[in-house]
Amino acid sequence: MSIFSYNGAAVVAMAGKECVAIGSDLRFGVQTQTITCDTPKVFRIHDKLYLGLSGLLTDAQTLHEKLMFRHNLYKLREERDMKPSTFGHMLSNALYERRFGPYFAAPVVAGLEPDGTPFLCGMDTIGAMEKAKDFMITGTSPESLYGMCESMWRPDMEPDELFETVAQCLMSGFDRDALAGWGAVIHVITKDKVISRTLKTRMD
Amino acid sequence: LGTSIIALTFDGGVILGADSRTSTGNYIANRASDKITPLCDNVYTLRSGSASDTQAIAGYVQHFIAQHQAEEGDQVTVKTVANLVKMMAYNNKDFMQAGLIVAGFDKHGGGQVYSISLGGTVTATPFAMSGSGSTYINGFCDKYWRENMSEQDAMEFITRALRYAMTWDASSGGCIRTVTITAAGVKRQFIQGSQIPPTYGELPRQQVVA
Repeated sequence: MSIFSYNGAAVVAMAGKECVAIGSDLRFGVQTQTITCDTPKVFRIHDKLYLGLSGLLTDAQTLHEKLMFRHNLYKLREERDMKPSTFGHMLSNALYERRFGPYFAAPVVAGLEPDGTPFLCGMDTIGAMEKAKDFMITGTSPESLYGMCESMWRPDMEPDELFETVAQCLMSGFDRDALAGWGAVIHVITKDKVISRTLKTRMD
Repeated sequence: LGTSIIALTFDGGVILGADSRTSTGNYIANRASDKITPLCDNVYTLRSGSASDTQAIAGYVQHFIAQHQAEEGDQVTVKTVANLVKMMAYNNKDFMQAGLIVAGFDKHGGGQVYSISLGGTVTATPFAMSGSGSTYINGFCDKYWRENMSEQDAMEFITRALRYAMTWDASSGGCIRTVTITAAGVKRQFIQGSQIPPTYGELPRQQVVA
């Protein structure tokens, strides 16, 4: 059994008109046993920067804690929050540091740059970064998620429409995945606020 | 076949229940599969384990029972069918991974349930369950099963048990299919996924924070 499908996850991030949305499923399980239904895979770094991590959950949690530590030091020295693009490059470097004993986690970074433009990037487990203008996904059923996102994404969506699109892509994507699902949480980040919504989904 | 299957006898017959998920690895290949297969008019089987192995066994047993039925000239007993399934599983035990539950109704013994596990053991019990999802509902079933329930109570019990198994087991899910076999005949029922109340749906949720 692959180490990347030990826990199971589904993360989708999309860019809209001066807003981004990122969402994940809520299942925490060990192979086929489901343990809880309230474990999000998306973590807040600061109000305009969210990080989604799929793969082995222990590595996702540790990576999140290490990055929070680095961001907190950055804030003390620079007296400002880190730009999403900077964070992406820092994460890529942090992952490549462990090239021959990697963290088994695949991240997606979603945020708004200081001038308001959306920023999306995704990486593999050793930090190969790819930026995108439309959407980024990661998880145990990438084919399902890519299929949904390619069909449903349109440019310049408003925050409410973006939320609907991410919700539908995430839910239909993980409904065909035995290891992801059991509820979903979606954060929509705009220039003045973040709206977080928890979805009720099929619990199987 | 990651699965949750249950069969139980009630006052007047048997009910067989199964989930509908077939997964290859973590991809759900079929989310509405039918794991309840007829072996003859009054005996059905629930399949768990390897899908191909159980389909092959069911195919062979259907063939031999049809011949036997023609010779008997009367309804075949559930015990005979269960025995035949056992022979298939036992004689080919090195090559197979099949856990089946055979259940049906005949006029001599009423409703009967036989569980045939991996090596070919036959166990006759009033209530049986199998598949990866059955492990999560052992406690629930021990507490709530009663002998000689009414048909409605038995149906409620099965749907509730399967609902919990489908929640906790990742390889079970989809919709619930049931087959009720009585002296009057066979009745198939289908409960859509959207009609199954979600587990924890009734509890208020704490706000999930990033």
